[in-house]
Amino acid sequence: MTGRARARARGRPPGQETAVPSVGASSIQQTLLNQPPGFRQPQQPHVPTSLSEEPGGRGRQRGSQRLQISAGFQEMSLADRGGRRRDFHDIGVNTRQAMEHVQESKTGSSGVMIKLTTNYFRLMSRPQWALYQYHVSYNPEMEARRLRSALLFQHEELIGKTHAFDGSILFLPKNLGNKVTEVFSRTRNGEDVKITITLTNELPPTSPTCLQFYNIIFRRLLKMLNLQQIGRNYYNPSDPISIPKHRLMVWPGFASSILQYEQSIMLCTDVSYKVLRSETVLDFMCSLYRQVEEQRFRDACAKELIGLIVLTKYNNRTYRVDDIDWDASPQCTFTKADGSEITFVDYYKRQYNQEITDLKQPVLISQSKRRRGTLVQVPVVLIPELCFLTGLTEKMRSDFNMMKDLSSHTRLPPDQRQREIGRLIDYIRKDDNVQKELRDWGLSFDSNLLSFPGRVIQGEKILQSGRVFDYNPQLADWSKEMRGAPLICAKPLENWLLLYTRRNYELANALLQNLFKVTPSMGIRMNKATMIEVEDRTESYLRVLQQSITPDTNIAVCLLSSSRKDKYDAIKKYLCTDCPVPSQCVLARTLSKPQAVMTVATKIALQMNCKMGGELWTVEIPLKQVMVVGIDCYHDTLSGKHSIGGFVANLNQTMTRWFSRCVVQGRGQEIVDGLKACLQTALRDWFKWNKYLPSRVIVYRDGVGDGQLHTLVNYEVPQFLDCLKSVGKDYNPKLTVIVVKKRVNTRFFAQSGGSLKNPPPGTVVDVEVTRPEWYDFYIVSQAVRSGCVAPTHYNVIYDTSGLKPDHLQRLTYKLCHMYYNWSGVIRVPAPCQYAHKLAFLVGQSIHREPNLLLSDRLYYL
Amino acid sequence: MDGTFQEEGSARIVKFRPPLYKQRYQFIKDLVEKYKPKKVADLGCADCSLLWMLKFCSCIEVLSGVDICASVMKEKMYKLAPLPGDYLQPSERSLTITLHHGSVAHKDPCMLGFDLVTCIELIEHLEQSELKKFPEVVFGFMAPSIVVISTPNSEFNPLLPVETSFRHPDHKFEWNRAQFQNWALEAARCYDYSVEFTGVGQPPRGMEKVGFCTQIGVFVRKYPLSEAIQPEKATKAAYKTVFKAVYPSLKEEKYLQNAVVTEVIFSAQSIMQRLPGHRLMAGHEDNGDPTETKPKFQPSMNRFSEDLGKGAVARSLEPFVNGNAVSIPLSTLFSFPKVRRLCCSFERFCKLISGKVTLSSDGSAAIFYTDCEDEEN
Repeated sequence: MTGRARARARGRPPGQETAVPSVGASSIQQTLLNQPPGFRQPQQPHVPTSLSEEPGGRGRQRGSQRLQISAGFQEMSLADRGGRRRDFHDIGVNTRQAMEHVQESKTGSSGVMIKLTTNYFRLMSRPQWALYQYHVSYNPEMEARRLRSALLFQHEELIGKTHAFDGSILFLPKNLGNKVTEVFSRTRNGEDVKITITLTNELPPTSPTCLQFYNIIFRRLLKMLNLQQIGRNYYNPSDPISIPKHRLMVWPGFASSILQYEQSIMLCTDVSYKVLRSETVLDFMCSLYRQVEEQRFRDACAKELIGLIVLTKYNNRTYRVDDIDWDASPQCTFTKADGSEITFVDYYKRQYNQEITDLKQPVLISQSKRRRGTLVQVPVVLIPELCFLTGLTEKMRSDFNMMKDLSSHTRLPPDQRQREIGRLIDYIRKDDNVQKELRDWGLSFDSNLLSFPGRVIQGEKILQSGRVFDYNPQLADWSKEMRGAPLICAKPLENWLLLYTRRNYELANALLQNLFKVTPSMGIRMNKATMIEVEDRTESYLRVLQQSITPDTNIAVCLLSSSRKDKYDAIKKYLCTDCPVPSQCVLARTLSKPQAVMTVATKIALQMNCKMGGELWTVEIPLKQVMVVGIDCYHDTLSGKHSIGGFVANLNQTMTRWFSRCVVQGRGQEIVDGLKACLQTALRDWFKWNKYLPSRVIVYRDGVGDGQLHTLVNYEVPQFLDCLKSVGKDYNPKLTVIVVKKRVNTRFFAQSGGSLKNPPPGTVVDVEVTRPEWYDFYIVSQAVRSGCVAPTHYNVIYDTSGLKPDHLQRLTYKLCHMYYNWSGVIRVPAPCQYAHKLAFLVGQSIHREPNLLLSDRLYYL
Repeated sequence: MDGTFQEEGSARIVKFRPPLYKQRYQFIKDLVEKYKPKKVADLGCADCSLLWMLKFCSCIEVLSGVDICASVMKEKMYKLAPLPGDYLQPSERSLTITLHHGSVAHKDPCMLGFDLVTCIELIEHLEQSELKKFPEVVFGFMAPSIVVISTPNSEFNPLLPVETSFRHPDHKFEWNRAQFQNWALEAARCYDYSVEFTGVGQPPRGMEKVGFCTQIGVFVRKYPLSEAIQPEKATKAAYKTVFKAVYPSLKEEKYLQNAVVTEVIFSAQSIMQRLPGHRLMAGHEDNGDPTETKPKFQPSMNRFSEDLGKGAVARSLEPFVNGNAVSIPLSTLFSFPKVRRLCCSFERFCKLISGKVTLSSDGSAAIFYTDCEDEEN
């Protein structure tokens, strides 16, 4: 169960993967709650393009020799060059300055104070510290960088031992005194060279260039500590956790970055775990071969391997498997850059002394992402025997025992996590070389984690028809409290279908009987279902649905015997597009435990009710005439062909009914065009329902990657404004756009007595660890049973609402109570989660926009 | 391997393919393949490219680099660090890579006991005074079995598009073949080495008389080295270590034990899965129609028999199940080829797994526990 939700949220799993997508109980149990960070797949690092059909791992070596020399500096100067690399921290997007009402203060005040500790350390510099940036030129011109370096550092007494030099830009921790310094050096064969060192910049500690510089220096330090870089994070290979049963190796490590936060520059560091596997892709294929029937072998390989990240044996590079070429083998040849042909076997033998023993294995294909110059993308060929698997396969994720084994190592309770985080600072303090480097630059880290007060805003009252109740704020769950209470709006089950296979007749009956037991107290009127036996084939289900669905059908329930995705997809596709009727798939296995059937039936009844347009509960929303929009994206990583944007917006004041549409975006299209159309329809439907237009529109935008903020601010927000303007001349609603981010490295710990605990749901942080140039805040809305709770980051990038930060924070927290598939508080506002569910369903199963007749119901739950 | 050249138009521009530096490296690699040295040092290692190539040679256990310029070494030294793969599958051999900052005109005891010392395009960068001390340091003090010295052949220069007198501004001299050979023969004579001359970078057809572009002398020590280091050689350290990487190796108890335990537990899992009454692996519940054509891919047979040595498992000592405990005789586990290969002897095998795997009361079998199969999904 664990880990999968995240993978999905990020749209990672390959299209044909099974693993019970939203079938029956799995979606009932679907929790969005805390995922240990160890299960994160790293964002696919940029794979260097290989020039011609060359095997993995060579491209960079030759091609970018020159670039690599100053790789560090390249990153540094990216702001000027328009970004060859993405700026993962969205530095330089200054949105707060445009929002008048938060100029003075962006902090709220409601709630109870709580003492928090976080995973941030202050970076400290000497008083009056500055970084001096020089430009260095040579006369006569010297080409070789090595020579330029050597000539410059003949003057070490002037420059000092501490420097960073890329051949033309020189950074020093001290001022040379003059704006222009000229020195003379002599090459070893007697040539005199004039070197002109010109001060171009005196950078204060907070300048963006300095921030990038700190990160470069920090990466240097991590390397000095012998930590291995994989993706964006650094891991400690000498102390692995080995889980031999599953051939897994878990490396502890750190995700870290240095940024300017509210009051100071800080290092944010979190524990990260890298799951590596001590088996090669070939080993994996062989054991798979023993497990599946031969005719299904290739399919099984594709299912398990495509989309996985592999790590090559011979260099430290990761690739994503995009395809398996069964017709090729290591004996195939490729053309080297010099035009000669060589087999993979010979190449690896010669280049890396790697013996390929299995000459009949297929090869893996990885489509490199980065384009160099005008060269067309050429796939990289990888040899299974020389690739290690990393991360987890879908099958492993669905293996409960394995995930349990794994999480016992990676899911750390707060105090333990804090200890692990502190280890990085310990490493830094104990290593002499690292200390020296820091001292030389005049920098140091605070030894204590940052502590400051946060606020816990009060819990919400849950309103059900005529009933009001509180929930236990520690658990943030009200499934018990809800039991036996009538729903706000119960849709009758008068005319509905129940499809089952012969084998599952008993289970179908059990489901029906239990639904009869649980529905009356909810207020759902229920007739006996039209029970139809089908053969366990996709066509059979579809034929029966075609024949039996009438205009009066409320819902079609399909009891599925296995988690075969194709069947599920076909049913969903048919019932969401051609024949728009709400549908509920239930996996037979979920009903197999007699003692649990009643609970399962309760959840299914609630889910079905939502899908038919029913309403379960609400919270008090004081803000009137407000339309809340949720947007999330699904990226089809497998075919890479399209992305899906899910869009939902409330239709009523109580936020119990939601309009939805989605954008299926083809390659090269911007998702924003489609979103504009969605917003237009949403406003039209709102008007139909309410007979007036909303005076406020609040957009919660999820699915924004690191480094994409700029695009959002400059393209998406103007489009929303445009769209609102186009509605009518006098229509001028207030717009708020909030970027929602679940994947953050920030963690909060609540100090209670001598130990650290998870902060309670409702904890809001809008000081210290937020960014001065943004109107942003963190909310911990959910509760977790184990491990550390992850806060959600909210960044208000546009706001003409004039609402106080307090009100926006409260509203956001309220919306986290409104997700009907979970009777508790979730990590994100409900519209985001609905948008996610919609985009996921469409991206995984339907592949085109669902029928708009369903658009006022939560059919995608 | 040999270089080819192109003549473009009337201007004679010699281009080597593969590039000359690669030819020089390949020459060293071939030499390593031939003599299988265990300890190799590269003097004037610069950006460590040669060392990086040599780290893949499986015979080498100690690899050292020396350079006068620390910053050049430091720039790319991390590429000599072990890779994640080296940790995931520790190699049989041990490998230690060290980089020293220092001059080839100075003696340091850390350079003693090497089998091969390479000086690729080094001597022409030495000042007269350094060059004078060089033979004593390399041949007299270090006294490795083999020394390889390469340097430009100035007779080839007219064929190169170089306008200055030397190929590189930092070159102090460039010798013709006679000059180099005289120097080399003198050094060999003096320190009891034999020397043979060769080179890389073939001259263009018709110009063979100029010789190789890079001339190479391969020196082989003629006398056996006494094991004990002569006391007068125990000089004080002159070099500063700037980098050291110890590769994970199965020679180290920690890694060997981990590898054995991992293999034992994994093998035990596969035995347990095949035991009667054990739940079948996932993937069989589906009854989809087999539409796929037969795959051509057949994992090689040797891998199969190796991994699950059905034949090798002694029939008389069958694993047995007792509740959720499965007892597997140690001899069965030891019969797995990978385990056997790692441990060599049964005694060693028992020692390695002790404390890491639960044993039966008489110590003849390992006990594994099956998980409760209750899937909460």
